[in-house]
Amino acid sequence: MSTRTVFRVHPTINFARFGTSQDFYYSPETSAGLPLDGTDTTGGLPLQAAADGTESFVRSGDLRDADGNLKRQAARFRLYAYDLAGPDAYPNGGGVEILPGTTLADGRTVAQVVWTVHLANKKANNYCVVSSEGLNAFADGQVPQLRNPQVYGTPDSETRLKSLVIDPGPRALVAGGTPGAVVDFDATTPASYSDGKGGIAENADYPKSFPSGLLYEPMGAIDTLGELRTDAQGRLLVLSAFGRTAGKYDEYSQVVQMTGDTNNPSWFDDAADGPVSATLVFTDGTVAEAFGGWVVCCDPSYAPQIRNVVSVWDDVFDAWVRTLDLMPSLYANGVYNGDYVPNFETDIHPVFRAAALQRWTVNLPPIAQRAHAAVDAIAAADDPDQTIMAGLTFIRNPNLAGETSVGVPLMPLSLGDAGKAFLTVTPTQYFFLEQWSKHRFNTAAAPALGPGELLDQASLSNCLGGRYVPGIEVSYTIRQKDIYQQDWASTGAGPFRIKHKPLDYSRAVAAKPFLKGGWIPLRHQDDGLEPGDLCKFMAIPWQTDYNSCSIHQTSINGTNTATGSPTTLYWSWPAQRPDAVYVADEVVAKVLPPQKWSIRGQGSFALNPRTASTFQDPLEAVQQWDQIGIVLQGTVIDGNDVSPDHYLEVASQLQDAGDPDEPVLAWPFNANPAKAVLDGPLGGIAGGARRAPAGRRRRGR
Amino acid sequence: MRLKDDEWTIAHLHQHLQAAVDLEFWTIPYYMSALYSVVDRTAQAVQLVQSVVNQEMLHVQLACNIANAYGLSPRFAAPVYRGHDIPHLDFALDKPDPRPEFAPYSAEIRLLDIPRINGMCLIEYPEWDTGGKAILRDTITEYGSIGEFYDALQYGAGLLRRHIQGGVRQVDHFSAFYNNMPSLTVTDSDGDGYNQVVLLINTIREQGEGASGASAALPAAYQNTADDSDPSWPHFQKFQTIRQTVGKPLTYPVTLAVDYSDHQRALAATLAETFGRFRTALEQLFAGGNPGGFVPLMISVGAGIQNCWKNGVTPRFG
Repeated sequence: MSTRTVFRVHPTINFARFGTSQDFYYSPETSAGLPLDGTDTTGGLPLQAAADGTESFVRSGDLRDADGNLKRQAARFRLYAYDLAGPDAYPNGGGVEILPGTTLADGRTVAQVVWTVHLANKKANNYCVVSSEGLNAFADGQVPQLRNPQVYGTPDSETRLKSLVIDPGPRALVAGGTPGAVVDFDATTPASYSDGKGGIAENADYPKSFPSGLLYEPMGAIDTLGELRTDAQGRLLVLSAFGRTAGKYDEYSQVVQMTGDTNNPSWFDDAADGPVSATLVFTDGTVAEAFGGWVVCCDPSYAPQIRNVVSVWDDVFDAWVRTLDLMPSLYANGVYNGDYVPNFETDIHPVFRAAALQRWTVNLPPIAQRAHAAVDAIAAADDPDQTIMAGLTFIRNPNLAGETSVGVPLMPLSLGDAGKAFLTVTPTQYFFLEQWSKHRFNTAAAPALGPGELLDQASLSNCLGGRYVPGIEVSYTIRQKDIYQQDWASTGAGPFRIKHKPLDYSRAVAAKPFLKGGWIPLRHQDDGLEPGDLCKFMAIPWQTDYNSCSIHQTSINGTNTATGSPTTLYWSWPAQRPDAVYVADEVVAKVLPPQKWSIRGQGSFALNPRTASTFQDPLEAVQQWDQIGIVLQGTVIDGNDVSPDHYLEVASQLQDAGDPDEPVLAWPFNANPAKAVLDGPLGGIAGGARRAPAGRRRRGR
Repeated sequence: MRLKDDEWTIAHLHQHLQAAVDLEFWTIPYYMSALYSVVDRTAQAVQLVQSVVNQEMLHVQLACNIANAYGLSPRFAAPVYRGHDIPHLDFALDKPDPRPEFAPYSAEIRLLDIPRINGMCLIEYPEWDTGGKAILRDTITEYGSIGEFYDALQYGAGLLRRHIQGGVRQVDHFSAFYNNMPSLTVTDSDGDGYNQVVLLINTIREQGEGASGASAALPAAYQNTADDSDPSWPHFQKFQTIRQTVGKPLTYPVTLAVDYSDHQRALAATLAETFGRFRTALEQLFAGGNPGGFVPLMISVGAGIQNCWKNGVTPRFG
């Protein structure tokens, strides 16, 4: 059988992250919290390039520039060539990186690569996030209320598209062309794109749109969505904008007040997402199109090595396994294969590892820390029946809907997805755990992923999964098969690739918005996503959601059928959104100090514990998000006598001495009860919620 | 045999304190085994028994804290689950005899069924007030109810309050679950220390049998403020609710011991061995030690119990 060579961009989905600095480092290429060969440092750290071109993990001193500004994280994309003899399968295991100057096995030499990226932000023109419903808000032909309903029309109306969508148009950059070139997604740089013939075309009439009119811009104007560069070898770097927000003024010349966490009308932010395309130009004049990737510009990673128990990778992998025939040996015809043997290190232990890491970002009580440490200590050689995880007694079963209402002792003990009190692992994670529990697992080396496949996994592993209310990097739409290139096996595109909606930029005209309202879920739309179709399901502005999603009662998800007191507080995004941290500068002789709230100091004092570790005023959240510290492993913390096994907060600028602050409370802790409940007939917080049938009367004492 | 006040010695008090620990500890595998035998973890019965198990763990801690305040670091002997034998209680001595109302009952480890629910109710059965002062007995097996037993213990503790040494080997794993409780340890000596002792005894009694009288709800101080579905209910009320309204939930099928496979025998042995190590760790913990594996062992016992049931094995603990 003859082979064909296909080209793929990896990671299939990557993340540029906000900062306030012009400076930046590269996106991580390892998976959060997992051990790495040859180093004590665990995965998930971004990479810093030295002047000589060598790369290393960022250290505490690399997080801010000389002026104290938070550096941005560039999403780095690479190109790989695959030789396929037939339909692809996962994992492929192969792939060779392609750079300008690389000669392929068939003799062709790559002269240069034309990268095209199109970033857009459609948040203000999209539908509201409905925390109690999530995806279901789009079921049965319904849609949630539109954001900014004061702007008349549908999401496809020109008025709304022009005034509510941020769209600078596409930008192209040649890798192997001018060294050091920077292409900005601002209002002045012309829209440009690969012409498919090895060159770059421009369209000066592209209808760019940015927030306009009189605006309140506390951190500066939203005048860009990011920029393109290449690294020294010609790989693509996509940088985000600077995490800015803009609010309109009302009829009384007051800034429109932010009234919530996720759907603030008349506000904009500079998050973005969009397709990444690559045209390979060979020295013989021929060209080839690669299967493209997707970039998301989003929140900083405040704890890059703290692994989420459910990451975006876990959700995406689960969706592909169950809806896109990723691995028929694992799942086919609607059922898991009971004979499938997962690998301990790659399929099972990451869940255990994630549990143990949560202690570094939340106020876990010592008893939970010790329990999680015992979970993490489970080795491949251990008999599952003799471990703390025997029988999966304390793991919430995602296949039993009612269990999302049961808190302790079921784990994970963090808040669940829309409409669900508590989180569950994904069905595929649970299946792997079940197989392990039944002694059906292997301890040998896992099937090798190719280098590009490893990048796909790493990129998504470092993002928040499970609880998309609405999320940090992406939302529940990431689980929808409609967004993906479903013919991945026959075309050679490979899995986990978001389908690009074909866009003919030569047809763009100044008078008419180019992008539309775009993709929404549950409509069987599988013709691809436009730029901005992922992040539009996120909060607007992003800072208010990050700020508020620290600690909540279970009722925050629109349900309060959870067991226990309705005032008990649980963590929203315990790994990705640090709540309580250990400050590296307060460690003495490797001894940990008491925890502090991640968001603390001026403006954070909480009269009610449910708003602890939070800027009390959302306006402070949009102005001080860059001052929050970052949690790093002791191995990359400079200047402190810290343990390499500890993960500690560094580089916070929120530690003003003398500011009112409150101590971190040990879990469980409670929100202030509502007065009506306190004054209830039984005088207790939860007393009398339900009365027992009459038992045998006792004599009074 | 009844004892007079001046015959009540520290040795008698220690005997009662050890008995309190024995009794509270005995209930944990008994209740927990019934709890984890239920298939549906969302069932009301599961939630109710789970909350009782959590408080029985608290009660072990409280009884041990009192004991240590009086100079006794308790032992944790292997509990025995046989016939109708519940440590140190003789229901036949209670007047009126509650057994007919809660028949049949059994003290043996089995899945959650009527004899187990009846047994739970009997253990937590409220005391009928005699209207007089507590009766001090020479033999701890002469008490007809847990309330009568704790009456005597408290009375004796008051007589011997001069022996209290606050802050000795006190353990607290639960205070964050009881926001309205002033203290779960004995930190003071003499009179203030005795007040703390009484508070801890009251906690055990209020949560167990609902000793405050006929009102339905526990006082707020004794209510779990974190993870109890019905924090205002004493244990007796919770068990009565299961008995009278919830019914018997679906439990895991069980294999007869004589038919166990090697794997099933291994599971039973693993649980027994883990429980043995847990008892040792408990003894160390309440003797002033800091056994490193205490928490994992405690959790592993629960995991091991359910793992037994899931595989058709009836748990055993020694």
